[in-house]
Amino acid sequence: MTPAIDIQRAWRIYETAAGYTPALRGVSLTVARGEFLAIMGPSGSGKSTLMNILGCLDRPTAGSYRLEGIDVTELSEDDLAHVRASRLGFVFQSFNLLPRATVLRNVMLPLVYSDLPPRDRELAAWRALRSVGLPEEHYLHRSNELSGGQMQRVAIARALVNDPSIIFADEPTGNLDTATGEMVMRTFRRMQRRGKTIVLITHDPEVAAWADRTVHIRDGKLFSDEEERRYLAELAEREERGEKGGDAAGADATATEPSATSAGPRSFSPAAPSARRARLLGVPAL
Amino acid sequence: MRARDLAYETSSALLANRARTLLTVLGIVIGIAAVIAMTALIDGVKAQLVGQLGLNMSRTVNITCWPPGNQPLDQDDIEEIGTALASDYEFVTGFTYTSAQASSSTASLEYLNITACEPEYFQAMGYEASRGRLFDAEESAEGDMVVVLGGSTVKNLFGSPDADCVGQTVRIGSSQYTVVGVVNEGFTYDNDTCYMPAETAVTRLIGQGGYASWQILGFAREGSDMYAVADATEAYLHDRYGIPWPEEDQTSFSSDEGYVYVQTAQALIDQLDATTATFRMLALAVAGISLLVGGIGIMNMMLTNVTERIREIGLRKALGARRGDITGQFLLESVTICIVGGVIGIGVGYGGAWALAAVAGSALGSMMGASGAISPVISASTVAVATGICVGIGVVFGWYPARRAAKMDPVESLRYQ
Repeated sequence: MTPAIDIQRAWRIYETAAGYTPALRGVSLTVARGEFLAIMGPSGSGKSTLMNILGCLDRPTAGSYRLEGIDVTELSEDDLAHVRASRLGFVFQSFNLLPRATVLRNVMLPLVYSDLPPRDRELAAWRALRSVGLPEEHYLHRSNELSGGQMQRVAIARALVNDPSIIFADEPTGNLDTATGEMVMRTFRRMQRRGKTIVLITHDPEVAAWADRTVHIRDGKLFSDEEERRYLAELAEREERGEKGGDAAGADATATEPSATSAGPRSFSPAAPSARRARLLGVPAL
Repeated sequence: MRARDLAYETSSALLANRARTLLTVLGIVIGIAAVIAMTALIDGVKAQLVGQLGLNMSRTVNITCWPPGNQPLDQDDIEEIGTALASDYEFVTGFTYTSAQASSSTASLEYLNITACEPEYFQAMGYEASRGRLFDAEESAEGDMVVVLGGSTVKNLFGSPDADCVGQTVRIGSSQYTVVGVVNEGFTYDNDTCYMPAETAVTRLIGQGGYASWQILGFAREGSDMYAVADATEAYLHDRYGIPWPEEDQTSFSSDEGYVYVQTAQALIDQLDATTATFRMLALAVAGISLLVGGIGIMNMMLTNVTERIREIGLRKALGARRGDITGQFLLESVTICIVGGVIGIGVGYGGAWALAAVAGSALGSMMGASGAISPVISASTVAVATGICVGIGVVFGWYPARRAAKMDPVESLRYQ
């Protein structure tokens, strides 16, 4: 069986006024069907870019991406829309519900772009809402009358309603308190048990702990859990040595940027952290 | 996206922002109302003109023929011509003019203009009796002593235009005639007219073999090409009497060589159309500007709409909306505004045309040569054109905002604050 996600050596380079900015630098990742994967990374690490590409909202500048065996880099914009409508579900940090529409209408929204006949839509929406455990008395409320946790459950129901095989969740608990967040995560686990592949993006290790596997993204590159631990250990060690390491990093930053490039996509060289990386991790750069 | 979904999205989006929708609709209402009011007024003036000229019978052909050798047509000639041209005409009828002194019990007229004709003449001219009746075929054939009066004759012989004259007797020349009715000639000529059967006029006034220049009115068969009928008639008369065809720039004709002059009402109506077309262009230019302003209002609203809903657009795209779905959704909003505005505008415009007609109708009419009150005319084609314009404006001014929405990048629009 082909993996749900198979992305190889993917680059995403943005053209900005300042020049070319690589957001992903040769990312390779395989996600099996039915797997619950968490992608962790600080802000600016490229995790949103990766999520957009995995979710077929954006295309890699270079590299290959097969989604359930389909080479989506070759598809037109409208074909990508069809892939999203039929195979993918999205859960956003800020829920992105239509505030004036009822809960039921919100959940039915993706079906407008699917082939499901109108008479079956309401039933599908009911099923999705029941599966996320939202009490029925809310179904005809306007979505802006709900609490944050309820809204996110509506959003998850919306992601489920077209019976997708993969669900992408971008910081789904970011705007929720701990208890509500836990409830949402439990919902994701339940979805996984029903055979959905789940890709979760977060910066919170406790949230990531719900997943089967966690990968880390920093400066547009992916690292395994083990690599990440080693990196953090090195970092802590350097901090113990005092500010000297920080100074060295600052001096290095102006020279060759990522020595990691020459050492291969997955390797990591703690000796030459970029100024940006150092800054993001709270290490004084200068 | 299905039609039902589109309709739902459109109505909920438009109703969500009632005030803005209403104001934008108002812009279109004003534009379309201006178009409709102007068109209805000008069509009203045109109808008035056509009515006044007695030309509502566009199938009527006025034929004047003077054979060479100074020998006018007589009634037998006309009968023969009618037989020869029977394939083109439902009927042809001869008439001539004469005049005589006339008097009633209370007043007298030095010159009464008399049209000697058959009842078909009224049909061809589109004349109807405003009071009493017109004389019929039997009276015409028998040469009965009956007469139909024109409006000004009633006034001058009986004191007022509304005087009770039907059934009264008038003396014309040396004989007494019974007034059977008053004819509505459309135009109120001030040149004392009356109509009597040709047979009566020949017997009593012109005299058998007396001098009269007979003219012909032809009534073409329904659905005829009037220009073809006129050409065929002209050719036939030239051929029949050996009348030479006029030179290209010839303006005067000699009665020795003879001449043929065939005039259709259609030509007059076309000429009238050309006159009113100028006014129509002018009025439509003004109305067009207000429509343009309305259209810009729509584009403005739709652009605001798109900017406000960037996140929604991003969401819809993420959930699988194709470019066409987004384009359709926004385009339908602008087209709906235009159609709603158009329907209201047609009503308002028609009402406005009546109001304008009451206030300034006769001034506008006299500018174009019509007299009296103007009744605005709204035709199916005007409504169809107005509706077409509405849809057109909706598409033209809604296209750019809709495409802009459709082309948005889902990632960027989802991130938009």
